[in-house]
Amino acid sequence: MRKLLRFMDGYRLRAVAAPLFKFFEAVMELLVPLIVASIIDTGIAQGDRGFIVRRVLLMVLFGVAGLAFAVTAQYFSAKVAVSFTGRIRRALFKHLGTLSYTEIDTIGTDTLITRLTGDMNQIQNGVNLTLRLLMRSPFIVLGATVMAYTVDHRAALVFAGLIPILAIVIFAIMLISIPLYRRVQERLDRVVGALRRNLAGVRVLRAFNKEAAERKDFGDRTKELEHEQRTVGGVSALLNPLTYCLVNLAILLLVYTGALRVEAGLLTQGAVIALYNYMSQILVELVKLANLIINITRAVACGNRVQSIFEITPSVVSPENAIPVDADAFADASSEEGVAAPVVSFRDVSLRYAKASSEMLSHISCDIFPGEYVGVIGGTGSGKTSLVQLIPRFYDITDGALSVFGRSVGEYDLDSLRSAVRVVPQKAVLFAGTVRSNLLFGNPNATDDELWAALEKSCAADFVRALPEGLDAPVSKGGSNFSGGQRQRLTIARAFVTDARILILDDSGSALDYATEQKLRRALREERNRTVLYVSQRAGALTGCDRILVLEDGELVGNGTHDELLSTCPVYREIAAASGLAVAEGGAV
Amino acid sequence: MKMRHILSRLLRYLRRSLPLLILALLLAAASVILQILVPKRIGDAIDTIVGPGDVAFGALWGFLRTAGIFVLISAVSSWLMTLLLNRVCFRTVRDIRNDAINHITRLPLSYLDSRSNGEIVSRVITDVDQVADGLLLGFAQFFTGILTILGTLTLMFLTNVKIALVVMLLTPLSLFVARFIASRTFKLFREQSLARSAQTSLIDELVGQQKVVQAYSYESRAAESFDECDEKLCDCALKATFFSSLTNPCTRFVNSTVYAACTLVGSFAVIGGSLSVGMLTTMLAYAGQYAKPFNEISGVVTELQNALACAARIFELLDEPLPAVQEEGPDLPESLRGDISFTHVAFSYVKDRPLITDMNISVRAGSRIAIVGPTGCGKTTLINLLMRFYEIDSGTVTFDGIPLPDIPKSYLRRNIGMVLQDTWLSDGTIRDNIAMGRPEATDDEIKAAAKAAHAHSFIRRLPDGYDTVLGEHGGGLSAGQRQLLCIARVMLCLPPILILDEATSSIDTRTEWKIQDAFQVMMKGRTSFIVAHRLSTIKNADLILVMKDGNVIEQGTHDTLMSGDTFYRSLYLAGTAQ
Repeated sequence: MRKLLRFMDGYRLRAVAAPLFKFFEAVMELLVPLIVASIIDTGIAQGDRGFIVRRVLLMVLFGVAGLAFAVTAQYFSAKVAVSFTGRIRRALFKHLGTLSYTEIDTIGTDTLITRLTGDMNQIQNGVNLTLRLLMRSPFIVLGATVMAYTVDHRAALVFAGLIPILAIVIFAIMLISIPLYRRVQERLDRVVGALRRNLAGVRVLRAFNKEAAERKDFGDRTKELEHEQRTVGGVSALLNPLTYCLVNLAILLLVYTGALRVEAGLLTQGAVIALYNYMSQILVELVKLANLIINITRAVACGNRVQSIFEITPSVVSPENAIPVDADAFADASSEEGVAAPVVSFRDVSLRYAKASSEMLSHISCDIFPGEYVGVIGGTGSGKTSLVQLIPRFYDITDGALSVFGRSVGEYDLDSLRSAVRVVPQKAVLFAGTVRSNLLFGNPNATDDELWAALEKSCAADFVRALPEGLDAPVSKGGSNFSGGQRQRLTIARAFVTDARILILDDSGSALDYATEQKLRRALREERNRTVLYVSQRAGALTGCDRILVLEDGELVGNGTHDELLSTCPVYREIAAASGLAVAEGGAV
Repeated sequence: MKMRHILSRLLRYLRRSLPLLILALLLAAASVILQILVPKRIGDAIDTIVGPGDVAFGALWGFLRTAGIFVLISAVSSWLMTLLLNRVCFRTVRDIRNDAINHITRLPLSYLDSRSNGEIVSRVITDVDQVADGLLLGFAQFFTGILTILGTLTLMFLTNVKIALVVMLLTPLSLFVARFIASRTFKLFREQSLARSAQTSLIDELVGQQKVVQAYSYESRAAESFDECDEKLCDCALKATFFSSLTNPCTRFVNSTVYAACTLVGSFAVIGGSLSVGMLTTMLAYAGQYAKPFNEISGVVTELQNALACAARIFELLDEPLPAVQEEGPDLPESLRGDISFTHVAFSYVKDRPLITDMNISVRAGSRIAIVGPTGCGKTTLINLLMRFYEIDSGTVTFDGIPLPDIPKSYLRRNIGMVLQDTWLSDGTIRDNIAMGRPEATDDEIKAAAKAAHAHSFIRRLPDGYDTVLGEHGGGLSAGQRQLLCIARVMLCLPPILILDEATSSIDTRTEWKIQDAFQVMMKGRTSFIVAHRLSTIKNADLILVMKDGNVIEQGTHDTLMSGDTFYRSLYLAGTAQ
């Protein structure tokens, strides 16, 4: 949390001003009992009505001043809290942009979203309350003690004794109950989990006649929850009666001490009343303080979680002397030499994901040459996606060497590398906006002609043209106003809009019908100035590829043309045979 | 839903706790009354302290002692009251939730399918909490608040009518101020929540799809649009936060003015001799605490309204009628053979939109039935009817000649095994999931089922093997692996009737090929309904049901269907035209 305070820069003055004005307000409030005491001791004792009226007016004046101070303080604290949180939020958002796939996988996007939303609200609330009230309450408590001291030294001892006891009681109850509340939350999560299971799995659970067992399990969980709730409820129920009891007993002690002092002529009746009023003020503020501390602990916990995200350093970054990808220079150099140099070259490459127990890819070696149209095939979990994601350096290889355009991937500037190597991911993701804004995602400077050309190639031009707004047709969040096949074609078009020399389609044709996919493949084959990698589960989708790479359990088990593989690669033979039996997705059966 | 109905339903839950509740209210009353009397005794005590040498210690001691006893009793009773209320509150919450799950596990699927899971979860979790908090704790607060106000007012009027009038007339001012600010800030809060939800949706999108954002080097442009959105939010948040935070200072100001007015009137009364200094102190203490319950009560009223609305939502769920429970009769055979017939069956999800109008199917035990048809043709509906997830509207369905209404659902479902396209797994271990249909199965049987489903090899490679705990929705496993577990789950039971609804749709072709052998063994001698896209499966079926728009439009074997000009033939030709 402390490290987040750097975002306070520039607001420090206001951050100090807020509690300072709160302090002034508190002083105004603290002066009231003194005025009442003087009214009793002077005004009433001497029957001076004019004096009383003047003093009461003074009280009202103090009230007005207090209001003015408070409003100023509220403004500063709101301003500081909102601006401070806004800065953290924006910085965090930027920071998330720098994290690489590995970190995103380990943290999970759900967590990241919570950090940016819920946690930020808690922080804003916490900062606001801290500036506004955490300062005010101690001011009043300490101030009341100091004022009591000025009224009477001896009587102030009661205050000095009471405050630590109250503090201990309040903190003890909080310390005991906070972990208990966490347990309540865990138990509640278990109840929610069981409930969700019964809703999401209703067909399976009923098919297996699990209703009675589920009812029993749910009953057990609600029972545990009730137990925990009662435990923590019993502890926190002590807070109010205990503090009430302590303060009021202290008041009685105070009145008694006061009586002794008055009897001895050391104190006036008005002063005793002032002391009594100070004691009452303390109680009100202490209870507020206790509730606040709970809020603030929560905010600090959120702050720490946010800070921990800031502390994650991205594992894949551009090196210090990053060079941009120069595909033209690479093409020139290789044509001068007469022999084509591989545009992508895997040399004994292995990949192990963070926290994974075994390698995802092991000892892959192969070359891909400029202009080639290469298919990648293999079963579920064979490593196809992992393999192609290494080329734009979404992940770093664990072992071996990987070069793209003649240089190791690690030497390039990341943005430059990724605009030279475009991946169309498996899941077709569109963003809220328009068709145009989605197409311009990777290349904001493309012209309309270029957009239409890309739509033609990806077989999306027809349906986009049919939309009343054409390129400016709205796209809802996640592209939900388009069908799966349309979404997929738009994401493919998005990749075509860039001048990337390497295009990778990661099973991106799966939602297309047979004829459309065939047209797409034809368009891809014609892209001779680009190198294309086409990943698929089905052998049928890879007809027409110059070469096919076959993966099985993270190893490259085949590398050749369809015909070569049929005779040399048993895994490919099996896949081809299985695909041959299946009807292509294009069929309705 | 009528208010009276809601209250009477609530009272039914509270009946068991009624003695505790009454006791709690008595304790609350005792605690409040004693709390009000304490300042009075302290005022009396202060009156005994007149000046040097003029302190009546005997009387002082008496007043202080009663005050002390009041304080102690009041504290203890308010603690006990909270304990009792907690007890009632948590017990009621548990009762309502248990009733809810009893209901949910019995409700017809037509009810559950027509509502989102999130909605039901929020009823059973959030709404129930709101009812308990709002109704019980809110009611307690309301009760003590009213008592405090009435008690304080009575004591004030008994002590000094003028001051009492000043307090009574001026204090509502602070409520008025608070209300005024709240109504003004309401709009600001709405703007803030709009800005916030706009931002959340942007975050959902850009952070949720962070990988795509990075693949297209969109990070800096994403940050720009985020910053823009954040500026807006900050602007709204500042206004909403600032204006709403004016409530406390403003009401404090009003209260301190009331306090000043009391001091003025009170002091004059003391000079006039109608009030003692101690009583002035008491009055000032009352004036200070008088405003507090008002603020609480105005909060409680909205909370109570909210709680009633929540209660209405829960009871709507709990009052949903349940289908009659059928006991398993003794005259049923141990298991079904698998003869199934549908005669003139009609069914629709929505009353005025008929789906199945006249379905007639006759299936012999042990035969293999392929269901074929375009998306939305009613394949899933047929499964819903076979499993009796939904009830038919008219016609008859019989299993082994026994009409469906005479077969208890649990018996029927024990006789049908199903693998659905939706690969739902329960949380718990892989072992628990495979053994779902037969919790008493031995480890060897579980392993054998997993091997048959070709799931054993990947399970073995998981760090905890069969004891691997699956998160919600089988998290961590791929769709294909989940589907293999669903197959293993059925392999372990092997009832006489099987339903395979695209059971291999998430499995890659090579594994699917391997698993077909296991399916062949599994289906031998069992009545099997298969929804599949594999031609070989369909071709070998004993009966093909061709469905369209909810009805079976053609049935027969592959050869008979291909011999005419059938819908099946056109589907088949479209599918093979590569």
